[in-house]
Amino acid sequence: MAHTLPSGNQASDQDKWDSGGLECKRQLLIEIVMRNRLTALVVDGDTTCWVPEQELLHSYGVQTLGVDNSRDAVDLIASDAEFNLIIIEKILLVLNGLEVTMQIREIGVRCKMLEVTACSGESERQAFLATGVDVFIEKPLDPEHLVPILGELDGQ
Amino acid sequence: MERNPIRRQLAIMRQSLFDQGHVDEQFVQLEELQDDANPNFVEEVVTLYYRDSARIILNIEQALERKPFDFRKLDAYMHQFKGSSSSIGAKKVKAESTLFRECCKSGNGEGCMRSFQQLKKEYATLRKKLGAYFQ
Repeated sequence: MAHTLPSGNQASDQDKWDSGGLECKRQLLIEIVMRNRLTALVVDGDTTCWVPEQELLHSYGVQTLGVDNSRDAVDLIASDAEFNLIIIEKILLVLNGLEVTMQIREIGVRCKMLEVTACSGESERQAFLATGVDVFIEKPLDPEHLVPILGELDGQ
Repeated sequence: MERNPIRRQLAIMRQSLFDQGHVDEQFVQLEELQDDANPNFVEEVVTLYYRDSARIILNIEQALERKPFDFRKLDAYMHQFKGSSSSIGAKKVKAESTLFRECCKSGNGEGCMRSFQQLKKEYATLRKKLGAYFQ
């Protein structure tokens, strides 16, 4: 919840003190990300999903591009646009996420791909891992899953 | 403890959203993404959710009017609904979506209808509570 206090500056300093370690870690992670200028492609047709996902990535300094359908995703990748991270939902317009993942891997893209979806079945997970997705995450995308992945991308 | 009565009221409402199981950790994530540059982020995402989810609910309602049920289509709609609901941390609604999908997977038409009624109830309650909270 946003706070609106009369002495604005004082309030934000207080907040920094209160969150202490968390704010420092966030700053450090942002520095890591900026150094490497990480970029992510988010492929999801649902605004309620991609808005928070992109905002979460932004909060770690990742630059993002979003597309809401498979055709645009594949076209973008085929035109040599490079990303450090591709986040894909299973149910998309045109082709489904599984097919898009296969096409992207066939083009020869080796970057980290995350499947972030509402599905929770083991068979779905296996199917995606088999097509070349690196990590299968059940929605919502959260820092607990994202932070280690961003950490891995640092230094590559 | 908040001394300001309005802020205290808001804090109590917020706590009850969690205590009553309407929202989960993801709601906190959204709050954490809110800042001075983005002061209404949570409300904006919730508004997007209302728009997206209303459309999906309508699609499901129409699909449930066609017999025999197209369980694959129903499941696909509910997959999307579950995804959006997860993104705002709508805990009870998300749980009910999972039940609905289980009914789809086992071809249980009656179960789907019952589950959907329950889901609409939970959804309506959530909208009411969030509406009051953001006012």
